[in-house]
Amino acid sequence: MLRTNLGQRIPEGMRDLLPEEIALQENLEREVLALFQQWSYQKVLSPTLEFTACVQPDVEQVDSLYKFFDRDGRILALRPELTTPIARLVSTRMRGANLPLRLCYGADVFRNSSVRYREFRQVGVELIGADQELADAEVIALAVESIACLGLENFQFNLGHMGIFSGLLLEAGVEEGFRQKLEEALARKDMVGVERLVQQSGLPERVQELLLRLPHFHGGEEILDEVLDWSFLPTIREAVESLRRIYRYLNYFGVQKYVSLDLGILRGFSYYTGAVFEGYVAGIGFPVLEGGRYDSLYADFGVPQPATGFAIHLGSMLELFPLPSIPGADILVYGPDPQEIIRESRALRLQGKKVEMALETIDRDAAEALARLKSISEIKLAGEEVSRG
Amino acid sequence: MDNDFLTIALPKGKLLIDSIQRLSRIGIECQHVNEDSRKLFYDLPHSKVKIIICRATDIPTYVEYGAADLGIVGKDTLLEENKDVIELLDLKFGYCRFVVAMPEGSVPPKHANGEYDLSGLNHQRVATKFPRVAETYFSELGMQVNPIKLHGNIELAPCVGLAEMIVDIVSTGKTLRENHLVEVAPILEATSRLIVNRVAYRMKYERIRDIAGKLRNDMNEEVLDVQSL
Repeated sequence: MLRTNLGQRIPEGMRDLLPEEIALQENLEREVLALFQQWSYQKVLSPTLEFTACVQPDVEQVDSLYKFFDRDGRILALRPELTTPIARLVSTRMRGANLPLRLCYGADVFRNSSVRYREFRQVGVELIGADQELADAEVIALAVESIACLGLENFQFNLGHMGIFSGLLLEAGVEEGFRQKLEEALARKDMVGVERLVQQSGLPERVQELLLRLPHFHGGEEILDEVLDWSFLPTIREAVESLRRIYRYLNYFGVQKYVSLDLGILRGFSYYTGAVFEGYVAGIGFPVLEGGRYDSLYADFGVPQPATGFAIHLGSMLELFPLPSIPGADILVYGPDPQEIIRESRALRLQGKKVEMALETIDRDAAEALARLKSISEIKLAGEEVSRG
Repeated sequence: MDNDFLTIALPKGKLLIDSIQRLSRIGIECQHVNEDSRKLFYDLPHSKVKIIICRATDIPTYVEYGAADLGIVGKDTLLEENKDVIELLDLKFGYCRFVVAMPEGSVPPKHANGEYDLSGLNHQRVATKFPRVAETYFSELGMQVNPIKLHGNIELAPCVGLAEMIVDIVSTGKTLRENHLVEVAPILEATSRLIVNRVAYRMKYERIRDIAGKLRNDMNEEVLDVQSL
């Protein structure tokens, strides 16, 4: 049946990948996954559809899930990311696995929200069952190397720690309602709102000053010394010293020069629990890589254990790279007799050649013209040439 | 990508002159930028700045995608567009208020405290340029209304029966009075904001902090000038 106008279009946020585009994406993914495997991360794949109960942490929140019903009326969702499905997978089928567990993935994720693509490729890693700072550093160093291995030069990573902000709020003894409003404003990146909230909070002047400064505090290791002067509270000191150790490990990994400390990296308040980081590339207006420590997620699946990881929004970065040209076939096989063409083509393919068959009976001139048109370097006659004229 | 240059998006219309003044005062030489010429793009190599002029409603989009590093835009537009950008600084010019207004003849009864009782307005039509703001406001009151999106001359809608009320921005209230409309509820106040792309804020941190700091100082000096008069 002739497709309607709608039937010839694709839904908003979806896209077709043409041969060069999918070749590009696969090349990039192959590079990154090879690197992950060199760091001993094993590839896993979770299903495209999950129960919404797995991937939706808070039913009260507005989400960006694509949802469906199964035959029993239960709500399904296309996976919006891989970290939570992998936590489910590890907590159920890999429950007895030797820790720490290093897993990686390359898969499409689906988000029914308005920003650009709603289906895009993600590659990422999870390091599960390790709470050491060396584990954080390993994952951050691997993140930097992943972006570097794509051949990008103008990139940068910013690294922060959720514990410094939460420690500061703990020390100030702010009430729950204020904390919630402040976190909401920070998540919206509404610094004017943050300023207003803090100034109207009635908190001591010193605390106000620190709360206003923290989201913009950015630099090298020296900023950590300054934060230590802010407070004697053990939670803040612990977070600062932990961040310092991670940052020094990054130096041993040879990647520290790409990483700035930035205490304004504050996001996913109910999710991230420690070091958090983002990767940026010149020319793309949003972070292309996001990651951090999430020590409370596994408890939601009944198997509490620490974990850290990151994801690269690979499908959203394709425009940074030139499209590869896809070489034509090695040989065009032509001739008058289909049986001969098939036989010749099979023989050549067994030799490892990339072979295209002429589907119509053509002569040598036509075969040469066709080969030129399709960038095929060689032509071969199968069987006997038909006599000309 | 040149990391040295900053692209700043400025809105056509009433915020443009103030925006240019502010930027000029902090040393970005852009006095010659205006919207009367057809030029939409100004290169200021001396200040290492590029300025683009676009519709106010498009500025959050330019900044979200990183086509502009910085933008100046009203909080009203920012709320309506709801884009993922950093709202860095309140520039405090271009003051206006969002209000609900109705024709003089059909205002609802008042509560004892003097405020209008909006509860009878459920399922009525609201003409507005800001359907998102209108819907958020009424749903927080536990009400349901039907926003009708218009692109200009909102005050016309109740006169011809297109809507029972309007949600619009007012600065002096003159337009409302001329069209025999009465403010029945304030929604919120809005001024212009400096917004920043989230990656630009990290990758061009020093320059953007410098500009934000200068704009903040400039505002403080202005306040002092007024006080010393």
